[in-house]
Amino acid sequence: MDAFVKHIGTIYPCRDAIARKLYKYYRTGDPFPPALFIYGQSSTGKASIVREVLRSDESGFQCAHINAISCYTNKILFEAIARQLEGAKLTQANNYSYDRKLDYVKDFLAVLQQLPRSRSFVIVLEHAERLRDMAHNLLPLFLQLPEATGLNISVVLLSSLPFEKFYIKTGLPPIVKLFVPEYTRNEMLRIVMNDYPSHIERLTEHSNQKSRDWLSAVTREFHSNYVNLFLGTFWKVCRDAKELRLVAVECFLPYCEPIRDGTIPATDSMNLWRNITKTLKVALSTMYMRLGTRHNGTGTSVTAMTSTFLPQYIELPYYAKYLLIAAYLASNNATKEDKRLFVKNHGKQRKRMQAVNARAKVVEKMITKLGPKAFNIDRLLAIFYAILDEKVGLTCNLMAQISTLVHLKLLTYVSVDGGGGGMLDGSVTRLQCTVGLDFIMHVGRMVGFNVRQYLSDFF
Amino acid sequence: ALQPVGTPKRNIQLSNIVEECSNGRRVSRLLELSPKKPQPTVPMEEPKTPKRSTRTSLGTAGSSATKSTPKSASKMKLIRDGTIKPTIHARSAPLGDEANELAIARERLHVSATPSSLPCREKEYEEIYNFLEGKIYDRVGGCMYISGVPGTGKTATTTAVIRALRHLAEEEHIPKFEFIDINGMRLTEPRQAYVHIHRQLTGKTLAWEQAYNLLNKRFTTKAPRRTTTVLLVDELDILCNKRQDVVYNLLNWPTLATAQLIVVTIANTMDLPERLLMGKISSRLGLTRLTFQPYNFRQLQEIVMARLVGMSSFNSDAVQLVARKVAAVSGDARRALDICRRATELADDQARKTDQPVTVSMTHVQQALTEMITSAKVRTIRSSSRMEQLFLQAVTAEVTRTGIEECNFLGVYSQLEALAAFSGVSVPNPGRAMGICARLTASRILICEGGRNDIYQKILLNISTDDVHFALQASKLL
Repeated sequence: MDAFVKHIGTIYPCRDAIARKLYKYYRTGDPFPPALFIYGQSSTGKASIVREVLRSDESGFQCAHINAISCYTNKILFEAIARQLEGAKLTQANNYSYDRKLDYVKDFLAVLQQLPRSRSFVIVLEHAERLRDMAHNLLPLFLQLPEATGLNISVVLLSSLPFEKFYIKTGLPPIVKLFVPEYTRNEMLRIVMNDYPSHIERLTEHSNQKSRDWLSAVTREFHSNYVNLFLGTFWKVCRDAKELRLVAVECFLPYCEPIRDGTIPATDSMNLWRNITKTLKVALSTMYMRLGTRHNGTGTSVTAMTSTFLPQYIELPYYAKYLLIAAYLASNNATKEDKRLFVKNHGKQRKRMQAVNARAKVVEKMITKLGPKAFNIDRLLAIFYAILDEKVGLTCNLMAQISTLVHLKLLTYVSVDGGGGGMLDGSVTRLQCTVGLDFIMHVGRMVGFNVRQYLSDFF
Repeated sequence: ALQPVGTPKRNIQLSNIVEECSNGRRVSRLLELSPKKPQPTVPMEEPKTPKRSTRTSLGTAGSSATKSTPKSASKMKLIRDGTIKPTIHARSAPLGDEANELAIARERLHVSATPSSLPCREKEYEEIYNFLEGKIYDRVGGCMYISGVPGTGKTATTTAVIRALRHLAEEEHIPKFEFIDINGMRLTEPRQAYVHIHRQLTGKTLAWEQAYNLLNKRFTTKAPRRTTTVLLVDELDILCNKRQDVVYNLLNWPTLATAQLIVVTIANTMDLPERLLMGKISSRLGLTRLTFQPYNFRQLQEIVMARLVGMSSFNSDAVQLVARKVAAVSGDARRALDICRRATELADDQARKTDQPVTVSMTHVQQALTEMITSAKVRTIRSSSRMEQLFLQAVTAEVTRTGIEECNFLGVYSQLEALAAFSGVSVPNPGRAMGICARLTASRILICEGGRNDIYQKILLNISTDDVHFALQASKLL
C-alpha cells in the first residue's frame, strides 16, 4: 500500500490521505462499497486521483469513466457504461454503434448481469449533480447496483456539491462520503515548485542560442523564492491549482528577463520584486480569462481591454447607438422622472424637503446599482425622440434595429406576449437593457451625448 | 451489421397475455364460456409449427434470427388464435390439509371463498335477478348501473345472479345467453376492452381496431338465431378517457334492437354518470340504478357467522367486536374477514405454544385490530431515532410558533437547536439535519421539497401535530 501511495504521490502530490482511502476501498481485494461519493472544490484533483487509483492495469477490475454532462438521455448513459465495462470499443467494424438498445433500466441491468462474475467493476461518474436532472430512478439505482446485479460493482460519484443537495423525496440508501479538501498554501507551494523543470525549459526556449550561461543563476532556490513571492500576490484571490500553475508559467518569463539582460543580478530579490509587480497586477486582473500569450509583459493594452473591451469592438450604427442609450436611460431611470428629464417645458419644480431627502441617496439605493428595470417599446421610442436632436421618421429600419439589438443581446426580452402579435400591439412585451454604465458612457462619448446628465441618480 | 433482437411489440403482447391469465380462475371460465367454438384437439405440449410461420418471422430479418424465433413465433400465433390456452405450473402434489379446526375456519374466512348464498344482500340480489331475467326473457337489451363503496358485495352479488341464471338456462327454464366480463383495472388501455370482449366471444386475440369492427358488425347486423349477451363491466370509471368513445360504444350497443346486449356496469361512486360521463352517455346508461349501502355491524356479524356456521372456534363476542369496529370505519366486509383471519392466526400461534386447543377470543381480536387499524405513522415515529423525534418536535414547535402549516428548514433548524440545547444533546449540523429531514420525508411523515433548495426548502407535516405529541409521549424527550 505504501508503495502505491508513494507512486500516486509522485504524480499528484499532497493527496496521500485520499489515495490511502481509495486504496483501502478498491485495491485490497475486499468487496467494494456499493457507492462512493467524492466531493470537493473544482481542481482539487478528485477525478485525476480516482482515475489513477482505478487504472485497470494488473488488477482484475474493469472501470468505466463517464461524464454525466455528456449523457443527456438514459440511452447514452447506459450504453456508454455497458460498452466500457464490457471492454468494447467503437470501431469501423461495429459501425461506431453499440449493438444493443438500452433505453430502460431493465435492459441495463440485464446487460450488467451478463458480465463475468469473477471480475469487479467500477463506474466513475463525473459531474454527478447532473443525475438529479435525469430520470428519477437513476440516482437510487446507482447507489445500490450490487444489490440489483449481484456483481462486485461500485459507483464513484464525483461532484463539487455536498451530498445534502442530492436528497430526493423517496429517500436514498446510505453512501460512503469522502471529502477532498482544498490545498493549503504550503501544499500549493510544493505543487508549483514541482514545475521547476518545465519552467526552465520554457526559459531556454525563449532565450537566444548564444547566451545560455545566465541560466545557471536560475537555481531551484531562486525558483522557490519566485514561487513564494508569486503566491504572496495570488493566494488571496485564487486557490485553483490549474489556474495558478498557468499564471506562474506566464509570469516567470518577465521575472527572469532582467537577469538575462544583466540589469539586475539574480541575488537582488528586492529589485526583481519591484520589476515584476506591474506584470503581476496585470495578470491578477486577467485571471481565468485564458488570454494566452497575447498580453505578455505589455500591461497597458490589457488594462484598457478589460474595462472598455466591448464598446471598442462593437460598432453600431448612429441610430442604434441612440436607441441603446435610450434603452439604458429607460432601464435606469424611474418612470416618474421622465417628465422632468425629457420634456422641455415641464413646468416649475417646487423644491420640497421630501424630494431633497429622497434625492440624497446612498450608493446601494441607486437605480444603476440595483439593476435595470423593464420598459416597454413606447417608452423607449419616446426617450429616443427626446434625446435625438433631429427628427427622423419611425421607419421600419428603426424598428428592425431594436430587434437587432435584442439579437446582439444588448437588450433582452423580460416578458413576451403570449399571443404572438409582435412587439407593437400593446404593452405586454417588455425589454431590458443589459449593458453597463461604462459601456454606455463610451457609446455616449462617441456620439457626443452626455449620458450622466440624463440619469436621475447623478443629480 | 447490427440486428435487432426480436421485435419488442411481440414480446410485450406475449407478456400481457401470460400475465393476465396467470390467475387460474379466469382461464377456466374462459374455457367453459366458449363452448360453441369447435375446439380442435391440439396436443398441448408440442405445438406444431404451421407452414406459414416462416412468413411471420420474416419481419425479424436475417437467417440467424429465424433459427431462434420459429418456436416462440408459432406459439404466439397459436396463443393469439386461441388454440392453446395459457396455463400455470401445477404443484407436484396438493398441499396436505390440516384437520385443525382453526385452519378450516381460516379457509372459510378467506375473501376469495365466496359463499353460495350471500347474506344481507337478498334485496339487491332480487333486484338484479329480476332485471336480468326480464331482459333475457324478452330478448331485448338494456343497461344497469351498480354503485357502492368497496367491499359491499357488488361483484359477488352480480356474479351470483349470473350463476343462478346460467343454471336456469342449462335446465332450459329461460333462453340461453352468453356471459362476458371485463374489468377496467385489468386493461392497460380503455380500447383494449374491445380486444377482451372479442376474445371472450371467439377466443381470438386481435388488434383493437379489428376487434372493434367485428364487434360493431356483430351487434349492428341482424341475425336470426342470436342469443342474448350479458356483459359485466367492472370498474367503469377506469374505462372513461377524454373522448369516452369506449364507454359510449359499450352503452350504445344495447340500444340497438339487433344486439340483444345487456350491460351491467359496476363502479364505486354513486354520481359517476352525472359527474364524469357526457350527457349522451349517461342518458344511455339509463335510470336503472342500484346502490349497495355499506354493511352495518349486524350485517357484518351475520356475514362472518354465516361463514363459520357449524364451528365452535370463534367466540361470538369476538365477532361482534370486529363487526362493530369495521362498521364504524368503512363497512367493508373484506376488512372484517381479514381481521378475523388474522385473529385465527394469532390463536393458532398461541395453540402451538401451549399445545392445547384454543378458541378465538376477544384478546386475539383486540390484538389483530391494533395490528391492522393503528396508524402506521404513529408506530414509525415511535420507532424512529432520537434525533428524528427531536426534529419532528422541532417541526411541531415551528408550526405552533408561526401558526402556519408550512414552515421552512431554517426556522425548523433554529427550533431544533433550542430543543437540543434543552435536552442536552449536541446539535447536528445543517447537513445532517437535512439528512434526517430526507429520511422522514421518505417515510412520508413529512412532506418537503428535495435537497436542491437546501435551507430554504419548505416542510409540511403529513400527520396532525396531536399525533406527533401522542407518539412522542412515551419518549424521554418530552
